[in-house]
Amino acid sequence: MFAAKQRDLTPAQRAHIRRTVWLLVAYGLILPPLVWLRAHRHVSDALLLAMAIVASLPVLGMFASWGRYLSEERDEYHQAVVLRRIAIATNVTMGAAVVWGFLQAFGVMPLIETYWVAFVWIVMQGAFGCFAAFARSGAGD
Amino acid sequence: MENRLRLLRAERHWSQQDLAGRLEVSRQSVNAIETGKYDPSLPLAFRIAELFELPIEEIFVSPSRRSSKAI
Repeated sequence: MFAAKQRDLTPAQRAHIRRTVWLLVAYGLILPPLVWLRAHRHVSDALLLAMAIVASLPVLGMFASWGRYLSEERDEYHQAVVLRRIAIATNVTMGAAVVWGFLQAFGVMPLIETYWVAFVWIVMQGAFGCFAAFARSGAGD
Repeated sequence: MENRLRLLRAERHWSQQDLAGRLEVSRQSVNAIETGKYDPSLPLAFRIAELFELPIEEIFVSPSRRSSKAI
């Protein structure tokens, strides 16, 4: 079944998945030593700045990968589906960020790091993808 | 948008994958068009019409004509 699903992927989807996996591996390898360094060693401000940029690079790469996917995808149906998914995820994430921001400003909710906005957006993309695959398999597609 | 794609495909004994290959789109695209979940772009609609050697309006049902018939 997995092989059949692999065959159903367009070349652009396969390339996007490959890029995402590599970026996730890079993120997993980069982040722990940076967190450890920050917690256990005295680090200069310049190095902290460099560490912060390095930590954000894989996530920035994921956004770039989405953009590249949209420009490479030749199948208009898949392109339309992904664009709709991105629009929904962006609206929901931005909406949640605004509500959380006001709740935070009024002291109802605790302060959270802003990178969680990107994390929520990426997780929503994955969740939508899984939901769509599940719905397709349920519909016998 | 309603269409006769499934019927035309069946008449030629083509699978969705066969049609997708001829149109250079994914099988999911063919399925989405056949089930009315997705309306193809004008270039793709023309490719479909050229493949079946039919005018576009003989494959795709105009929503306005369909609603006027219903009235």
